[in-house]
Amino acid sequence: MAMSEATADEEVGVDEMVGVYRHDVHKFRGRQHGSGVGEFAGVRVNERVPLGADADASMLSRPRGNPEQSVDNHATPHRLSLVSGDRAVDDPRLVANRRGDIEWLVTPSEPEVLHARWLTSTVAGAYNETVYYPYTSLQYHVLLAGALLDNYREGYDLEDLYLVATEPGEFERWPGAAQDSDVVEAFRTVLWTPAFALHVTGAPGGRPGVRLGERAVRSFGDVWARLPVYPFDVGSGRRWRVLDAQLRRIRAWSTALAYIRDFTAAYKPHEPSGDARRPSRGEGP
Amino acid sequence: MTVIQQVLFELDAPYYGHPYAVTGHALFNAIARRVGEPVRRDLQVSHGVFTPKEFAEYPREHSQSGYAGKLGGSLPDVEAYEDLFVYRDPAQRWLQNGRPRDAHNVHPVQSLGGRLAFAPECYFGRPPETRNSKRSVSWYLQCYLHTGRGPSDCLPLDESVLDGLRVGGGRNYGLGEVSVTDTQLVDLDALDYSRLEAGAASSGSCQVELVSPYVLESGFPGADDQSVPWWWNVDQTAVSVPAGEDGLRRRETRLAVDGDTHALSVVDHGQIVAYAGSDVVGTAINGVLRVGSHAKYGFGEVRLRPPQTDRVPKRRPAKKRVNWWRRAGQLDGGEGV
Repeated sequence: MAMSEATADEEVGVDEMVGVYRHDVHKFRGRQHGSGVGEFAGVRVNERVPLGADADASMLSRPRGNPEQSVDNHATPHRLSLVSGDRAVDDPRLVANRRGDIEWLVTPSEPEVLHARWLTSTVAGAYNETVYYPYTSLQYHVLLAGALLDNYREGYDLEDLYLVATEPGEFERWPGAAQDSDVVEAFRTVLWTPAFALHVTGAPGGRPGVRLGERAVRSFGDVWARLPVYPFDVGSGRRWRVLDAQLRRIRAWSTALAYIRDFTAAYKPHEPSGDARRPSRGEGP
Repeated sequence: MTVIQQVLFELDAPYYGHPYAVTGHALFNAIARRVGEPVRRDLQVSHGVFTPKEFAEYPREHSQSGYAGKLGGSLPDVEAYEDLFVYRDPAQRWLQNGRPRDAHNVHPVQSLGGRLAFAPECYFGRPPETRNSKRSVSWYLQCYLHTGRGPSDCLPLDESVLDGLRVGGGRNYGLGEVSVTDTQLVDLDALDYSRLEAGAASSGSCQVELVSPYVLESGFPGADDQSVPWWWNVDQTAVSVPAGEDGLRRRETRLAVDGDTHALSVVDHGQIVAYAGSDVVGTAINGVLRVGSHAKYGFGEVRLRPPQTDRVPKRRPAKKRVNWWRRAGQLDGGEGV
């Protein structure tokens, strides 16, 4: 048993990049790794992610040590939204069609397709990383793990990685659009919304970015506050400033990425609104 | 003796104003109409920073350690320089890890006719069998007042002057009302700066963290333009910068005086640069009293941090990546564990 694991560890190929998008299927049911199934819809799932990418991705959003239930009456795999304070997705169809939706998220064998599906999925965003921390997001945990793994495979260490912020380009919520988009970088784009896109990459290439730090810790607000240029104009609308102010307060990465998505969906800061006017006297600078 | 008066307000009504902080200018204007001319001339007010009231552990660099009960609703004792900043960091590092800290720390947003305001309280559900089925987190606002260097008989301002101030938009309609819950005097010269001095004596340079925006250009009549201070040094290896930028994020904001707004060009807060000066304690005290133009209204507050200090508490050295599966196999075979 230990033998076969050891050889699997040394295999290098696309299989790892496929596996990272399939490693957390059990979390759709609120189960832990140990009690998850090994096969789902005819593909192997729940496999170990190499190079510590999964462990690092989880450290970005959850405290170290044994989990405790942090929200008293919410021990289900459904994510809570920081914007509404309630279940992130109230649509009962998402629950009814769950099995088919999960199959859609894990069965393709091309890693680029898997990344595009996770990036644009609505269903994955309805689940949390663990029932103990229901504000975290399974979708962004998996995307972060994929981005870390791809970077680690290219030889970058965590301390070499940047959070890069860009404009969203032409946004459409379907996987084909993500694959065709000039903005989306396979595996490394961790957030794509109509408002802006975020990438975790070791090769920022002159785009505005800031280093993640030396270790995987819950540091989103610190990293965000140090970006040299924002992907949106905080001067143009108060809703952008509200979003920016909130993002400086959030520490867990998957929670913050989910917050951006929920906030832009609920309040549409990228569209002109009543809050975009000149500030009143009291609002001041 | 350089004395500041820390003030903690409780938010009594929704707040519809500047989202990052209640500006020192808004607080100054609210106070100024209640005090006499001498106080108005001398008084300098910091930005007001929002904090939630929740269970807490003192940050690692704080002069006290361990569990703190609930913080946010009272002012902790100030013995060391680091204690001044417990509430002045939007990440509120004292919130406990075992609780949903981000849910506690993010403002509850209320939409008032399409305008986003911050609610004064946030409710969390509890299991229905518990006695009260909801638990609330209330919001507070921390700021401090001073009169620059040297003695002054303005401070402390009486609680009756500060109680019931209204700040932000819609304040004539009852929004943004705050009431005083706690106030204390702190002598900056008597604080313990030993961590900072030890850090400055070690290798590596201290860091300057911008707690509030630093004004570069002001449209306010008579205000001089400033350049980026020479003792700031942007670490170009920590950021990736588009061509033509210097790595410091700038922002346009406005100062509203008597119905007119004046454009301000600022270096945005939250950024960190290396400290290239030599007098760390002097700079630290100046940073609390704020630097640059419009310091009277809360702009230009900076905090110095010793080199290599982690901004995230409980950060431990990275674990060597161990293949746990293989290691378990070895233990089973070799040592009979």
